[in-house]
Amino acid sequence: MSFTSPFAPSTAKAGCGTIELAVLPPDSPVLRNVTYQYPLKLVAPDPLPPPEQHADPDTPRLIHAVFLLTYGGGIVAGDSIDLGVKLEGGTSLVLLTQGSTKIFKTLDPTVVSRQRMTVHLAATAALVYLPDPVQPFAHTAFAQSQIYHLENEGGSLCACDWVTSGRSARGENWDIHEYKSRNEVWATDVTGKKRLLLRDNLILDKHGRTGTQLAERMDSYSVFGTLIIRGAVFSTLSQHFLHEFEALPRIGGRNWGDTAEHELTPMEQKRALRQHREKEDGLIWSAANVRGFVLVKFASRDVEGSRNWLRDMIKEEGSILRSFGERAILCLK
Amino acid sequence: MIWEHCPKAAYAEYAVRAVKKHEKANAALSKLYLLPSLILQSAIVRLPPPLMTPPANDQQSLKDEIADLERRLEDAKARLSPNSAIEQVSTPTTDAALHALLLLSDSALPLGSFAFSSGLESYLAHHRPSPPSASQLPSFYTFLRLSLSTLASTALPYVLAGYRRPEDVETLDNDFDASTPCTVARRASIAQGRALLAVWDRSFKTQYSKTSAANGASNGGVHGGHSNAMESLSTFSAALRTSSDINAHYAPLWGLVSRVLAVPLREVAYLFLFSHARTVISAAVRASVMGPYQAQSVLADAELQDRIRGLVEEGWNRAVEDAGQSVPVMDLWVGRHEKLYSRIFNS
Repeated sequence: MSFTSPFAPSTAKAGCGTIELAVLPPDSPVLRNVTYQYPLKLVAPDPLPPPEQHADPDTPRLIHAVFLLTYGGGIVAGDSIDLGVKLEGGTSLVLLTQGSTKIFKTLDPTVVSRQRMTVHLAATAALVYLPDPVQPFAHTAFAQSQIYHLENEGGSLCACDWVTSGRSARGENWDIHEYKSRNEVWATDVTGKKRLLLRDNLILDKHGRTGTQLAERMDSYSVFGTLIIRGAVFSTLSQHFLHEFEALPRIGGRNWGDTAEHELTPMEQKRALRQHREKEDGLIWSAANVRGFVLVKFASRDVEGSRNWLRDMIKEEGSILRSFGERAILCLK
Repeated sequence: MIWEHCPKAAYAEYAVRAVKKHEKANAALSKLYLLPSLILQSAIVRLPPPLMTPPANDQQSLKDEIADLERRLEDAKARLSPNSAIEQVSTPTTDAALHALLLLSDSALPLGSFAFSSGLESYLAHHRPSPPSASQLPSFYTFLRLSLSTLASTALPYVLAGYRRPEDVETLDNDFDASTPCTVARRASIAQGRALLAVWDRSFKTQYSKTSAANGASNGGVHGGHSNAMESLSTFSAALRTSSDINAHYAPLWGLVSRVLAVPLREVAYLFLFSHARTVISAAVRASVMGPYQAQSVLADAELQDRIRGLVEEGWNRAVEDAGQSVPVMDLWVGRHEKLYSRIFNS
């Protein structure tokens, strides 16, 4: 007879955390598990019902939200954060941050701070991850990875990954040692076999033989971002991005005055307004439909330009607000 | 890379001991032999400790490295006695490699590369000079640098992997497809990859199957790796017709085809980057950025040579998992090519 401890074994590894969402029969999504260790902190406010209830039984009755925080509001040189997220079928999670993830300077360029997030999504689970941007200060070395595993290529995902040039108010302009960000989406089938669906890997370091400072290869943009959208829950959102990209005015095109001016519909007015702001903010973007994803890339002269644009695009379309609530775009306000 | 599995301290200690031992032995040698021995020394320092066997996937890169070191030793010896170098007769093997290299580097190779500007056209549209009559040359030089850097960080690892691991070509093709974020770049890569496969099927296959069979018979399986590569290529080419999951991207196929053609890897990598530079420069001529003579002078420039050599060096040990975009704005330029009002290129 051996004695089994009634307590779960303690996993007191620094920077490690887990989030597990499960369904309590018959249909209540619950946070089964939230653990974290310094310097990572997770805060889970009460789940809220989605503003618009569907008749479809597959849509969850409650939407959970979790804030990813770090002590001191940022990542100090040598910190390593490792978060595992697991969503069972029929659950939805909104991951948020409170302000940009600041990366503090390292005295030794070889000391790379790391942040790793591994997400497992069941076939009918959905994740919205629209965080604040990562803000690496001057003289920092940081590498992060967001790895998503989709069960049987199912699961819905809307994840943004964006980075800024540093503290622009202090004149910092990509004065970093190194910045790497990796987003990967893998499909796992029942046998556990994995297939790479998408890899978006950004590498900013001293390599590349461009013979210039990092800032010069950024073409005077201060923000770069990628938005990855996939799955049934976000299908209208992905269509919206593709449509709007299609509707962008042609580069180098001219108005020859041979098309009759017509009264703009409210949709067209909104579009014209947004395109005007894009121009003012120096924002450029592209959207592509590849391998079942809609991949959106954007860049702008300052953080607010990208933030406003992202918020406007998502709000214009509205499906995220309807099925996940206002909270989902909290970081874009 | 070779040292990943070995504790750093042990490595350092071993290296120091090896160097010291070797230095003692070297002291006896005359100054005349110093140069080759220096190269040997670096080879010894890099050899693994006696009890360590490197894992299988490192074997190939180790072999490449040994071949490279041997070549450098040869070079150094040749420099010691210049007369013998001039008299040196070319061997059939080196001639065959040179021949294959010339085939691949020919701008008449029907890959259709001339139809792609790899983002140059879009870049120029995003950087209109003011006044409009001002030269676009300075911005072209910036673009060429950035474009080479991007290619080296995204595609070069796949060229090297396609050459080193022919059997993995399908996975490499899938992973490259997953790593190409925009439709325009994807289209360009697939068009050239399929064209390369067609050239192989219709033009090179007959000749190189014969060579392989002859080698296999005379060497008793020494060229096993070579026929293995050819088999992978044939399987891949056949699978392309039946499977919808296969795309035939340019970079991994470039590595694989040059493996079958038995071109040394370093030259394969150099040529891959050089061909890209040539394509972009030729696009610049057609986009009226510069004239054909100036284009040749940019191509011949020592700075370009230096840059390509440096990029090959940097990327030599980069795993395909670590391939990624080093110039994020490049994705936007290439992706927004579709939004140009007028276009003369496909990318």
